Amino acid sequence: MIGAVVATFLTASVEWVEAYTILLAVALSIGWRRAAGAGLCALGALAVLTGVGTLGLAHLGNLVVLQFVVGFFLVLFGVRWLGKAIARRAGLKKLHDEAAEFAALRERADIFDARVAWAIAFNGVLLEGLEVWLIVVALGVQTHHTLAAAGAALAAAVLVLATGFLVRGPLAKVPENTIKFTVGCGILAFGTFWVLEALGYRWPFGEFSILVLFGFNVTGGLAVAQAYKTRLA
Amino acid sequence: MRGFIKTLFGDARNFCTAAICVGGAALVLHTPAAVAAGVVLPVGLLIGAAYLARH
Repeated sequence: MIGAVVATFLTASVEWVEAYTILLAVALSIGWRRAAGAGLCALGALAVLTGVGTLGLAHLGNLVVLQFVVGFFLVLFGVRWLGKAIARRAGLKKLHDEAAEFAALRERADIFDARVAWAIAFNGVLLEGLEVWLIVVALGVQTHHTLAAAGAALAAAVLVLATGFLVRGPLAKVPENTIKFTVGCGILAFGTFWVLEALGYRWPFGEFSILVLFGFNVTGGLAVAQAYKTRLA
Repeated sequence: MRGFIKTLFGDARNFCTAAICVGGAALVLHTPAAVAAGVVLPVGLLIGAAYLARH
């Protein structure tokens, strides 16, 4: 359970930082009340999606099928995040820059149109939140701790909002790539473990194999990023 | 809707990488070297992540 809660909290923190940048840019144009309204509507939509997703997966009936489906989605998500984090660490891809993102949003001509700005805030929070939703539902259903996972995601939102309130600007100093790298390795470890177990494989160290897989992903990911960096230099 | 589908399944390259790795591990599970599946899948996924990083 702790692994699932930590993974959800870290994933949510990264995504909420990106969502906060969008909300901040919009709030400076149409005011905090409307921007917060758009953000809350998006959070409401995500809460409904979480309920529907959890019920849908719980009604699959067959636990092995459920484990395979959840594991496969986590593998899809984890390999994507790890690939992106390796590319950014190696210098193959630019690091995500919240300050630049914020400046680009503020330069949009339509950001002062109240309806367009509301839609930008709603879509931004919804799209960033979809990855959080996926992790909450997948890890929550499989570990039977959906509420704890959803709580971790909400706690991350509160932390990001509180930090944003104190900083009064985009949260550009969050080590986003390091968090994405760690979360990618963790999610991939969970996914690998559950997919193979669902296919009938018996892991030698039981659930401790998740830690071994996590260590392998971190070591391997760092080695691949270093190899790319050396080749680029 | 497009964002929703992309979040769930990623792009074609992402989906194929994961599917090939899982499919390969499932094949190994049905051979006498079934125990190697626990190595094939993580190594395959790491190679997949390295491939995705370049593309």
